[in-house]
Amino acid sequence: MAERDLLADFDPDELAMLRQLFRDEAHEALEQVTARAQGAGAGSLEAVLEMMRTTHTLKGAAGTVGLDAVVELTHALEGALAAVRNGQRPWTPAFADAVVEIVDGLRAHIDAHADPAVAAALANRVRELLAPWAELPRGRRPPRDDDTGPTRALDGDGTVVDEVDATATGGVTNPDLSGSHDARTLLRVEPERVDELMSAAGELLFDRNRIERRVQLLRTLTRDLGRVRQELRDQLAGAGSPALGAIEGQIATLSTQLAQTSAALLDETEAMRRTLGDLQRGLTRVRMQTARALFAQLARALRAASRATGAKVELRTRGEDTEFDKTVAEKVTDPLIQILRNAVAHGIEPPAERVLRGKAATGVIQIAARAEGNLVVVEIADDGRGVDVKKLRERLVERGRWTAARAALASDDEVVAALFDPGVSSRDEADELAGRGVGLDLVRETIARLGGEIRMSSTPGKGTTFTLRLPVSTAVTHAMLFKVHGQVYALPNAQVIDVITVDAASATWPVGGERVPVVELSRLLATPGATGDGPARRPAVVVAYADKRLVCSVDKVIGPREIVVKQLGPLLAPLPLYAGATISGSGKVQLILDPAALVRTAYPGHTLTDPAIAEPVRASLSGRALVVDDSRAIREALMSMLAREGWIVDTAEDGVRAWGLAQELHYDLIVTDLEMPRLGGLELIGKLRADRRTAQTPIVIVSSRVSPEHRRRARELGVRGLIAKPVTRRKLLEVLYADGR
Amino acid sequence: MPDDLKNVIVFTLAGVRSAAELRWVREVISLGFVTSVPTAPPGIAGAFNLRGHLVPVLDIAALARAGHGASPRQGDSALLVEIDGVSAALRVDKVEEVATLPAADAGAVLDGRGRPVPLIDPAALVRQAIADANAVRGDDDDAPAQPTPRDPTTGARVRLAFDGDTTLG
Repeated sequence: MAERDLLADFDPDELAMLRQLFRDEAHEALEQVTARAQGAGAGSLEAVLEMMRTTHTLKGAAGTVGLDAVVELTHALEGALAAVRNGQRPWTPAFADAVVEIVDGLRAHIDAHADPAVAAALANRVRELLAPWAELPRGRRPPRDDDTGPTRALDGDGTVVDEVDATATGGVTNPDLSGSHDARTLLRVEPERVDELMSAAGELLFDRNRIERRVQLLRTLTRDLGRVRQELRDQLAGAGSPALGAIEGQIATLSTQLAQTSAALLDETEAMRRTLGDLQRGLTRVRMQTARALFAQLARALRAASRATGAKVELRTRGEDTEFDKTVAEKVTDPLIQILRNAVAHGIEPPAERVLRGKAATGVIQIAARAEGNLVVVEIADDGRGVDVKKLRERLVERGRWTAARAALASDDEVVAALFDPGVSSRDEADELAGRGVGLDLVRETIARLGGEIRMSSTPGKGTTFTLRLPVSTAVTHAMLFKVHGQVYALPNAQVIDVITVDAASATWPVGGERVPVVELSRLLATPGATGDGPARRPAVVVAYADKRLVCSVDKVIGPREIVVKQLGPLLAPLPLYAGATISGSGKVQLILDPAALVRTAYPGHTLTDPAIAEPVRASLSGRALVVDDSRAIREALMSMLAREGWIVDTAEDGVRAWGLAQELHYDLIVTDLEMPRLGGLELIGKLRADRRTAQTPIVIVSSRVSPEHRRRARELGVRGLIAKPVTRRKLLEVLYADGR
Repeated sequence: MPDDLKNVIVFTLAGVRSAAELRWVREVISLGFVTSVPTAPPGIAGAFNLRGHLVPVLDIAALARAGHGASPRQGDSALLVEIDGVSAALRVDKVEEVATLPAADAGAVLDGRGRPVPLIDPAALVRQAIADANAVRGDDDDAPAQPTPRDPTTGARVRLAFDGDTTLG
């Protein structure tokens, strides 16, 4: 579908959003295909059918959002899989390899959407990969090149083997990698929505803290009242006034009741604390994902690395079900790939050398993940040559990094740990030193920023093990970093609007035509022994918070960074100036200033108010429609088209969910796909027609399989219309309003 | 163990030998880079990163209202204590020994030569530090003190993530 036709259907923004949805969905779908292709029983009919169905769904979604190249490539891949299903071609390791590579290429093509030239080149690459296996449209088929065919290696006895055994052993050690988990039965939620909930729950926590403090105050006041009453009674003892005595008695009763009430209140805040804890834990779990996808990515990286070096490596994984925060998983992927590449490039010996040393010709890399309290421990162990500690010790001294005395005293582990130091791990030295350590300083820094740690141990000749301890969940945010009195501080980037230079002497400074107060951070953050005056012109950050702006002069601006925010704890949290802390790549604590506190310093006496949130206005309705499709991009596209016509739209991702909704709610229109997991479209329609309440509901089928047989079945079931994918607004309206409106 | 014996760790601080009961001390550590915390009360001398956790460093002398201790620096020895789930590092000059010593009167133990060694109470020190920190804020949200007595952790911009981490929104 051409771009201009699409723009008739969707706003540019909407199209961009739909394509983003498609890309998310494509990632998940492609991940499933990879897992199937690499998993146990990869060649089974069931696996091939599932791969076909996933590919097919993707093709439909790509068509709807107008990504023609993806439609073409997924179509070809589906064809290649169909050949296996039809028994025209056997499922071979080489074909599995090709499928994984094609899927990788497709993913790269989809990700390169911002640069059409790159995307086109990547699409061509996928065509090359597809060429040996599938029919491509005329003119698309690239010339057959010997380098582009499936890659194979010959074993010693001439048998064809896979270059990387990751596929096979992944299946043996991990029968679960096959994706028995059907991702489509899962709820997909934007991470921002979860963050909003976390934010709200977090505020609730602060509310609770305030309530608790008030209750404590109430108890103090109650005790004071008791004392005053006691004094009154002492005074009255001599006076003998019955009236005053009665009043004293009333005060006593009230005082007791007050004490009981505040005690009960305290109990209730305790109950609130528990419930909040549950809520928080639940929300944290929403962000969790298993190590499965991470491992699949690592297997892919290992495959590529092995192919590049010609090394023979087998990957064994354990602990796929270990859960951790999505952010942690994303951040830790590159460091782990780096470690794997190092292991393949420098750790695992060539087969001949391995055999000489009495090892199996194929190297083994084991990756294991496990939960340990609030940490996830990931271990990567290879059975390669290990680090030559003796040589490394000599090198450290030779290069003047360590003194001879230090090198002599250091334990082997300390020497190995030196590989994490910048410079020691530079590429030039790595091979000489121990055949290790490219970019390990960066790996350690990334892990440290996440709030985790990495250790390395090595036995010469036996191999090397990296142990990563990572937080289960983490909170990454963007911050502006700057220096004051030699210490680094941070401000949340969301509240920093500019970096400027100001006169140190000025109390106010013009920002956007308005003079705003200047806060001298060197004064506010004075430390013992800090020297007084700095230069006359200083860098400054402009902070905007709750409608107020101010300028904070600093000593030096470092720049924006991604940081992991740590809670301050009961000892530092009471200090008004700080919102949290972070740990730098070198392991130093850096404090995060609270923009709200700065604003209050700059505007004494000002009360901060949050801007009111406007109520969204509900569109007028013309009926309620249910859209059923297993592609989220297509659901959203149909929803958008229908909403524009005034429909209120619900969506369901499969027939079962749709059937459930149709039982609960009255629909004036149901638009459904045919091929869906759990309950397909025709079966759904059959059930709907058999139910008195939905027997007459107008139904429209949207499908990419529109055979005469389907049309006949559709007519029998009293379907209003049948639309071939990709769906366009025009096609939909024609079917909906065929009888005029 | 009889009531009059205590498991203690003996250390020196500003030339004076003191002891702390072992039950409060999780480990003896060497301080990492200590970040100073401006506006903190004198008893809180800074904070450092211990295996990914932010741990405040306390000044025993300041908390005991006995002047000021030396500024904590990287490599200094410290006792890592944990009281009611709150971890803190107590900076010391030198750790001498871990021993089981008889209790003397007035919060002290007797060392091998029968000399009294004063006991510090880590729990009381940590509670004092928390109280001092809260005094900086002011106890009531609405008290008109400077700078800004309102709870630093209220408002939409601070978002709590769980298991100890906070995100700024």
